[in-house]
Amino acid sequence: MSQSKWIWGLTIGGTLLLVLAPLKLQSQPYIMHIAIVAFFYAILASSWSLLAGYAGQFSFGHMAFMAIGAYSTGLYGKFVRLTTAPTHICKEIPLGKYWLVIMNIYGNNCLEAGKANMPVGTLIYRLPAFQGIILGALMGGLFGLLVGVLVLRLRAAYLALFTIGFSEIVRVALNAEIKVTDGPNGLELAPLFPRGVHILGYSFAPTDKLPPYYVMLLLFLLSMGIMHWLSISRFGLFIRSIREDEEAAAALGVHIIRYKVLVFVITSMIAAAAGAVEAHYIGVITPNILLILQMSLVIAMAVIGGLESLLGAAIGAIIIEFALEFLRTSFTIGSVTVDMTTWRLVFFGLLLMITLRFWTSGLIHPLIQRVTRAGVAEETVAKRKAAEG
Amino acid sequence: MEHAYYFWWALLWIIGWGAVGGIVTPRIYSKKDLDVSQAALAGTAIGAAGGPFALAPLWYLTPRLNWKWVVVPGVVILAIFAASFAAADPNNLCVTNGPFVATQVTNGLIVGIIYGLMALGLTLIFSIVGIVSFAHGEFYMIGGMAVYYFTVVWFPGMSPFWGILLAAALTFALGAAFELLFLRVMNTGKVERPDEYAILVTFGLSFFLQYFTLALVGANPKKVQRFLDFPAFGLPSANHPTVLKVTSSTVNLFNTISISSPRLTAALMSLVLLGLLLWFLQKTWLGKALRAVSQDRAAAVTGINPDTMNTLAFGIGTMLAGLAGAALVQVFSWVPWVGTLASARGFVIIVLGGMGSLPGAFIGGLIVGVVEALGAGCVPDPQRAAAYIPAYGMVILTLVLLLKPTGLFGREL
Repeated sequence: MSQSKWIWGLTIGGTLLLVLAPLKLQSQPYIMHIAIVAFFYAILASSWSLLAGYAGQFSFGHMAFMAIGAYSTGLYGKFVRLTTAPTHICKEIPLGKYWLVIMNIYGNNCLEAGKANMPVGTLIYRLPAFQGIILGALMGGLFGLLVGVLVLRLRAAYLALFTIGFSEIVRVALNAEIKVTDGPNGLELAPLFPRGVHILGYSFAPTDKLPPYYVMLLLFLLSMGIMHWLSISRFGLFIRSIREDEEAAAALGVHIIRYKVLVFVITSMIAAAAGAVEAHYIGVITPNILLILQMSLVIAMAVIGGLESLLGAAIGAIIIEFALEFLRTSFTIGSVTVDMTTWRLVFFGLLLMITLRFWTSGLIHPLIQRVTRAGVAEETVAKRKAAEG
Repeated sequence: MEHAYYFWWALLWIIGWGAVGGIVTPRIYSKKDLDVSQAALAGTAIGAAGGPFALAPLWYLTPRLNWKWVVVPGVVILAIFAASFAAADPNNLCVTNGPFVATQVTNGLIVGIIYGLMALGLTLIFSIVGIVSFAHGEFYMIGGMAVYYFTVVWFPGMSPFWGILLAAALTFALGAAFELLFLRVMNTGKVERPDEYAILVTFGLSFFLQYFTLALVGANPKKVQRFLDFPAFGLPSANHPTVLKVTSSTVNLFNTISISSPRLTAALMSLVLLGLLLWFLQKTWLGKALRAVSQDRAAAVTGINPDTMNTLAFGIGTMLAGLAGAALVQVFSWVPWVGTLASARGFVIIVLGGMGSLPGAFIGGLIVGVVEALGAGCVPDPQRAAAYIPAYGMVILTLVLLLKPTGLFGREL
């Protein structure tokens, strides 16, 4: 079989498997839960690999964009309501026969106080999660634009330092502004489908795993599709040329500023969208998702999967997320209890370092290449060169 | 904050006109064919200090800019900042209580000396090995943990002196071993993108060390007794200690400035270590060899092996972090994740001081120490003030990277 047939066959087969698998697995909510979280990490790891592996921008602030997306939709759900009558106290915008009420952050809850001004039978709606997710993605893109412009001049270690700083500032602010974000206790969010899902005669409760599974899967496939298309287009060539040599790329006519900022905006939007969906699925978001641990996990997933391969990073993330969950059970040898919740992280830290040291292109990416025989042409060229040289 | 808007308007004024000055000034200077090397920085400073009233004459007259055109506006900006803060919150301790401010500043300087010691290790590694170690804070944490385990758990009653020595040996050995196993390969040319490799592998090391330590020692905070009990005395006399009053736990200067004695011990220890480090770098053959390699790796022709020097430098750098941790373990309670914040602080200091600059690291440490102490003491709402401590340094980092990426004493990029 030719190479492209292999790739298409695998892609379609893999997608079908992911789409159909939950029909068998939906009786096991634990597995479904891990799968949803695994897709979440797969989106983050692959978008980070586009940013770091393809464009060479080693940003440690990826989780900050994710958190910006999650908190945007969370705050939108916390402070914005749609009512059928005005409160006359809050800031409100009339929309036809509805009023968009923006609650005040400090002081008394103006919506509660404003209920006195509303006629009996006034309805108060939360806005749909879908809107919040779009808003979150846009906010992520906006911050990506800001950070992308600020870091234009910074390279390698400076960029890494700046983005760690950015991520820490976001985390500290989320922790400290308790009145806005509820601080370390976390911000509660409505579920993705507060009234459940009713489709084709089937009904799913808001806590059922199947609807969020498909939402996250859709986001995963969508972002993989977009990123894959970007990576094989001129955009992908341009950002790789920037990674290899900025001056040379600029001399050849690549608009460096535009593409560096663009790659930040796109990857931040994807991360923010993933964060928003995940936050709605979990139902609560805390500033702890910005701990260096979370960023380290995403990096470990991308590196072990293959830093310069979107699919490798995604598969790496899914495998590692499942491995992390199944390694959770602690065990006892003799009188010593091995606390696996910590030791599994030690193991992945070590695996990250060893992979970097000995298998630069990751563990999954070479496997994909071997199966699809994608690397054969390059290998042959290299062999011939070696024979000639 | 009674009149918070004073402060926020002043801040908005500073940032807005700073941005205008920073963006427009270089264009005007380059249009007039003048030296633009300082234009962005000086333009930002002058704009932030004087707004349009200072920018208009600057753009009209375009004097030759040197460091004075940055320092003078810098002082003015600080004055505006302080004045607007005082106007916004007239009842704040920092405004009404002079001795409180003096105490905060002194304590900031004292802690800053120790931060400086840690950052020296980071900057030494950068100047010789050429990488930024993202695992630096973890060695700081291990230094403190080692002192706790040697002097409290394994050999109770052991003198802290030996504990510190063992901690230094341990962090040196760990750092040197890591360099041998993971970083030496960078010099062989086999790593495709060495800068990125170094970032990721040290980041992985930090992750590994932090969780390895957590798995071994658990999450309970560890506390070490203070190393030294100062003898109690007073100056001019024990009954009227108007100048200096020393008890076993605090030192009190002029009845106003009070410093806790563990902090003072740690700072004195750091000063001694700094002296030793300077002596080592300036007077010994090894130190000279290290400095030669940091200037040019071609020092190899004189018989210095740059690979060995890299290992040595990385080991010494991590040892300095370990020593800073060993000095501070008696001040703070110790958990396996103290290193994260320490790493971040180290980055702020070396970027502020200039990457690779030893005096820069020391002075940067002092500045960061003072800023953190004042921030923690002055921001109203104590809970918030404490939560924002890590952010003060990060604000400095962001400003330096944006305005002057070479830092105070850095070599030009």
